[in-house]
Amino acid sequence: MLTKLIVYAAYYLKSSETYKNSKLFFYNLLENPSSKSKPYFDMFMTGLIVLSIFFLLYDVEYEASAMGGYIEQAILVVFACEYLLRFWICSDTHIIILEEHEKSQYLNIEFSFYKALKKAIAKKFEYVFSPFAIIDLLAILPSYRPLRILRVFLVFRLFKLFRYSSSVKLFSDILASKRFELLTLMMFTGFLIFIASVSVYVFEYPEPESKIKSLFDAVYWAVVTLATVGYGDIIPHTVGGRLVTILLILTSLGILSFFTSILIAAFNEKMPVLRENRVYSELERYKSFIIICGYGRVGQEVARQLSNDGQKFIVIDKKALNVELAKRDGYLSIQNDASKNEVLLSAGICRGASAILCVTGDDVTNVYVTLTSRNLNKNIRIISRTNRHDNVSKLYQAGADHVIRPFEIAGLLAAEFLGQPVAFEAISGILQNQADIVMETVLVSEGSCLDNQPISKLELSDKKLSLIGVISANPIHFKHKNKYQVKQQHFYFNPEPKFILRNEDILVILGRKYGIDYFRDQIEKHRLLARKVL
Amino acid sequence: MKQVAVFGYNRLSIEVINRLDKQQYQMIVIDHVAEHIQLAEENGFQVANIDFRIDDDLRSVGIGSSIDTLFCFFEEDSENVFLTLSARALDKNLNIIAIVETPESAEKLRVAGANKIIDPYEICGRKIHDILKRPDITNIFDHTVFGRDDLNLAEVVIPEKSYLANTYVSQLQLNTQYNLILIGIVNKQVSEQLNFVVEDGDRRLNVGDILVILGPSREIRAFKKEVENEFSKN
Repeated sequence: MLTKLIVYAAYYLKSSETYKNSKLFFYNLLENPSSKSKPYFDMFMTGLIVLSIFFLLYDVEYEASAMGGYIEQAILVVFACEYLLRFWICSDTHIIILEEHEKSQYLNIEFSFYKALKKAIAKKFEYVFSPFAIIDLLAILPSYRPLRILRVFLVFRLFKLFRYSSSVKLFSDILASKRFELLTLMMFTGFLIFIASVSVYVFEYPEPESKIKSLFDAVYWAVVTLATVGYGDIIPHTVGGRLVTILLILTSLGILSFFTSILIAAFNEKMPVLRENRVYSELERYKSFIIICGYGRVGQEVARQLSNDGQKFIVIDKKALNVELAKRDGYLSIQNDASKNEVLLSAGICRGASAILCVTGDDVTNVYVTLTSRNLNKNIRIISRTNRHDNVSKLYQAGADHVIRPFEIAGLLAAEFLGQPVAFEAISGILQNQADIVMETVLVSEGSCLDNQPISKLELSDKKLSLIGVISANPIHFKHKNKYQVKQQHFYFNPEPKFILRNEDILVILGRKYGIDYFRDQIEKHRLLARKVL
Repeated sequence: MKQVAVFGYNRLSIEVINRLDKQQYQMIVIDHVAEHIQLAEENGFQVANIDFRIDDDLRSVGIGSSIDTLFCFFEEDSENVFLTLSARALDKNLNIIAIVETPESAEKLRVAGANKIIDPYEICGRKIHDILKRPDITNIFDHTVFGRDDLNLAEVVIPEKSYLANTYVSQLQLNTQYNLILIGIVNKQVSEQLNFVVEDGDRRLNVGDILVILGPSREIRAFKKEVENEFSKN
């Protein structure tokens, strides 16, 4: 009967939205490292800990004040609540019970409630005995009156601080990565301390002047000497003792330098990973960015232009020299192989990247990166560079949207310059936004004042703009002459005055930048006004 | 026919040579590497194997006399600078177009006397930027003006005694009469600067002005022919 009731209650909890939501809320607050509320909560808790330590120190020297006592109590309540909440969210008891229940039903055996409960409790205990939970508990318990002796454990509250900062975790990770070396060193050190303390004990104990009265004194002396601290409160008086000291000091110098070098090496190994993580976490803040693979001459030029536009991007390059250059230019960059899936994934190819540029100098790398990127993300724009004509089709096959050949473009420019230098300078100036005059597009949106209007009505020449043509995918325009197929659309060059614009058409306009902006503004204003009237 | 000397036979020069009209330009490929020369000869180009460091050799291929345009397409910037310097010393009016590998060499080439400096990587970078930022316009130009479709950019000089001299821009009506778009006019007497038609409003055309027009090549040819007419067609 009781078992049935508990299973029913577990089902009820599982289906309850409020229960799930509140649990999720506290999970986000306390544990979820990527939630927004956690940093604030961590800061608040850190403040409380500092405050409680302050009161503890105050009490040591002065009489405890009533006010301080209340605050202390309040802080304690917060700590206790936090502990209980963490205890609550560490595992889902009702789910464990239900799993057991369903399993037993499936296997057609009798459901043993105690077995399920045991499993659930074991799970909870797993949390209780985790280092952080023990620290939490030790920070609360000493305030309970009968346990006042444990007051010294209040210092554990300081350890609680570790929970709220990630740098300690980092430090312990680094130490853990050198586990083998540290363990070897520790064993050797222990051995040395043992030998040194035993031999100094043997030499010094019989000497009446000597302060070494027990083996503990000898160990204490050995550690103080080994650490090169040497207080001088215990000094050897016999020749044997002094010989031991000399040997111990010489060896300890080696041990200390070995220890330091292990730590430094571990930090150095971890540094690139740390830097990379920083880059990734910065990248996570951007909603849309571009991945540039390869920071050679082409990559540098694109990066410069993009940063002028305020566009966010990340540079990936295999060569340390190029990454160094990108860093010096102030761009986000990682030194890694862009053809690896995990590198592209952690650079956010499926998350916020809008385009990927494969612009290394090596065609093989470009093809490979293109293929990898297309595999990972079907919709991303891929622009690739190649040096050889034969590889253009390979890149398109690999999934590139655009393929660029530096020498083709340069060759074209040189040839055009030879034939008609003036015209070419003009058009390349316009296309590259170097001149005052720019060429831009204006979209005809539904219900705007351009929709269903003939071009003669636009009076573009009065606005000091000239219309080069119209881009449209609309088959209604097919009868017009001068159409050029451009991918799925048509470009209508120099359309007649009676050409009627339709929704989704794009005007290609030449004019001053602010002239075009003004034109766009007016269209937008007109559209908003029209909507208001409706 | 214009005489063009191409120094350095490599990917870039092949691109350029393929784009130039064989009817209009007579080309000679010059290199100091024997294999390059052999390759160029196999591809049917007029070649010369000379040392570009010696002025007499340069003179022997016609620099300072018959050559109008010089392409410096060596892969080393220092070689291009040297060639530009020597060629400029031989001929003040030579049209020198040079390629650069590193951006800091551009200034050196300019000082050495190059008319046009081409940085393939910079152009490529700009192009990628254009594709990202203005895909529509880049697409159109790639397919039309720079691509296979017949839409071209042209410059038309107004010759002496042309009927167009002393007419006004507004009288041209290029877009209705010829299906051409007039982008701008360069007034050679004033400066090399292009004056955009949309900017300037109406102005009178002079002999020697250059009209920059955009349109199908048939229309451009028709317009060019018309311009050379001495009398107004009216």
